[in-house]
Amino acid sequence: MKYCLIFFFLIPLSTLPQSSFDFHSPENIKKFADHLFCQGDYLRAVEEYESIKNSNLNDTIDFKIMLCYSEIGLYQMSNLSEVRLSKSIFKKEAECLSLKNRFKASPNSFYKISEIKVYPFSKEDRLTLNYFQKLTSVSFLLGSNELISKDEIINPFDGYEKKTMLSFYEMKVNPACKSPALAGVFSAVIPGSGKMYVGEWGDGITALLATSLLAFLAYDNFRADHKTRAWIFTGLGAFFYAGNVYGSIAAAQIFNARINFEFSEGINLFLEQKNYFMPEYDFCN
Amino acid sequence: MTLNSYKFFFILLFLSTSAFCQIDNLKWQKADLSYEKPDNFIPRNYSFESDDPVEFVTKSFTNAYWFFVSDVDGDNCPFRPSCSVFFLDAAKETNIFQASLMFFDRFTRDTNFAKGHYHYPHVRSGYFYDPPQNYTLNQGKINYIPPAFIVDDK
Amino acid sequence: MTSVTKIFIVIIFILSGAIRIFSQDSFQQQFDLAKKLFDEENYFDAVTEFKRLLFFDDTGKYSYEANKLIGLSYKQGAKFSDAIHYFSLAENNASTEDEVFESKIEIIKVNILRRTISRALTLLDDLRIDKRFNNRMDDINYWSGWAYIFADEWEKASTSFNDHNPELSALCDSVNGDFYNVTLAKTLSIIPGVGQFYTGEYVSGLISIGWNVLWGYLTINAFAEDRVFDGIMVGTLLWWRFYSGNLQNAEKFAQQKNLEKTNSALRYLQNNYIGSKP
Repeated sequence: MKYCLIFFFLIPLSTLPQSSFDFHSPENIKKFADHLFCQGDYLRAVEEYESIKNSNLNDTIDFKIMLCYSEIGLYQMSNLSEVRLSKSIFKKEAECLSLKNRFKASPNSFYKISEIKVYPFSKEDRLTLNYFQKLTSVSFLLGSNELISKDEIINPFDGYEKKTMLSFYEMKVNPACKSPALAGVFSAVIPGSGKMYVGEWGDGITALLATSLLAFLAYDNFRADHKTRAWIFTGLGAFFYAGNVYGSIAAAQIFNARINFEFSEGINLFLEQKNYFMPEYDFCN
Repeated sequence: MTLNSYKFFFILLFLSTSAFCQIDNLKWQKADLSYEKPDNFIPRNYSFESDDPVEFVTKSFTNAYWFFVSDVDGDNCPFRPSCSVFFLDAAKETNIFQASLMFFDRFTRDTNFAKGHYHYPHVRSGYFYDPPQNYTLNQGKINYIPPAFIVDDK
Repeated sequence: MTSVTKIFIVIIFILSGAIRIFSQDSFQQQFDLAKKLFDEENYFDAVTEFKRLLFFDDTGKYSYEANKLIGLSYKQGAKFSDAIHYFSLAENNASTEDEVFESKIEIIKVNILRRTISRALTLLDDLRIDKRFNNRMDDINYWSGWAYIFADEWEKASTSFNDHNPELSALCDSVNGDFYNVTLAKTLSIIPGVGQFYTGEYVSGLISIGWNVLWGYLTINAFAEDRVFDGIMVGTLLWWRFYSGNLQNAEKFAQQKNLEKTNSALRYLQNNYIGSKP
């Protein structure tokens, strides 16, 4: 009887641990945050990690916070997290990630860091220095209008990356641009030819036909002594001619803008493929 | 606690608060869903926005053109903004003479018999996007958009 | 056993029973927290808490409800692809036929909202032929009606609503009856201006008549005076431009006015109709 009663009491008591599961304990928050991180839900993951970072001093968590902020585009917040990793096992990775964040925040002006020579890392560390030089090379190509030497640009790279950077350098130094002045001169001589020079054949032929037709109509009406009509056609013809010269210059400028855009896009695609030259971190397996 | 400790505490507090503020800003909110079908029709703006007499004259002619001709002769312009709006915007960006040259160039491109419009991006309503800012001869003002892009009508 | 021991045992027994009754399951607490966030329209955080619940719930007790509420949260945030994904998960975790049906209907509602109507109608057809839901034809027809409303097919919508929802059926009939016939407007425009008069645009119609009469007269006059080139130029560049413009305008006005009526009805349904809505 005694043992039956004891057993009977133990049943409800045994259910207590299950019903008292703490969802918001630091351990469980960390497990959930790791799951979110591996799912790629970086915004939720960083919020979870932030809530436990003070109670759970852990280098991996701090580095994951830095990674999450970087992934969601909060580069300044990511770099502020680097402070906590200055004496950790992730120090070098954090320095590289910090450089990547600075680059992504302003890719066209990243190279100016090397000009002012105030480096946000220790220059003795060859790995970080090489990484910095790679990003500086890319930034030079994207943002600088100065002539830079080929060796300066391609030296930090090797193998396939070197070949690709060399081709980008060639595109930077010798872009396939068209001269707006030349386009204007072509169209002044033969209406529409400036547009054809830029590759807009349809617009060029239309401009040639329109200007020629109006010129013919003006001539024909002058010959037939229809002065009013002749002057109207002359005026229209003059405006179409001037518009065609103007438009050819503008078309060459737009062509050059397209070349610059495609150049930048090509570099950005290369950077994405290479993950900005950073290693892939696998915290999920 | 020393002054430095206080400073460190407040910096930490600020960082934590600003972290959560920035995260909060990125969280998506309840969307303003509407059952209505999208209406791509943009009504004409007949109003006179400026006191400048030249602009007044230009706008008067444009209003008359819209009312008596453009709204009656159908939809002939494959571009947005349309040629008349292009001319008005060009006059605001530059001057009347340069805007005239831009207009005649636009008219030539509009009349392109070969329909070579493949290099223009689109707006949502299907027209080609061709703003006057790209034709001011100021390279810095050109905003190149590749053909695959779809630009918001508004 | 002494009487003190007996009393002690009884007290322990009562206490353990009371603890069991009053200590709410923490999983249920987590669910209630998430539901509270959802009810407060704090959808992002609601999704976070539901995902937390699902992550730790090994038994799958909350799988259906939590996934469904995540789907509803995403739907409120207009993240329709995510919403459909979670409604599908809810459907996979449903334990009753009713739950399966509700999940499928939610997916259909999201498809209606994002205007992938053909997909919504396909899913409704699948429900129709599914023998498990033979007793839910009224609901299937109701949502078919909504799908047709969003597809701008008011006549079919009215048929779908039919006897089961006379208010909506009457509304659909009224909207359909108010529409201009676009084909008729274009046909009437063979005579310049008439199409515009049909759609109520009298000023545009008069101006169109004026231009067509002017260019028509000049073209015919040019041909009559043997000025063939002038006649061809005026006829093709001016008369034809204004004549085809007249046809285009009649069609455009009819379509615009029909769109205004459609949107007016949709606004009413969204803001004033009291009943189940997508």
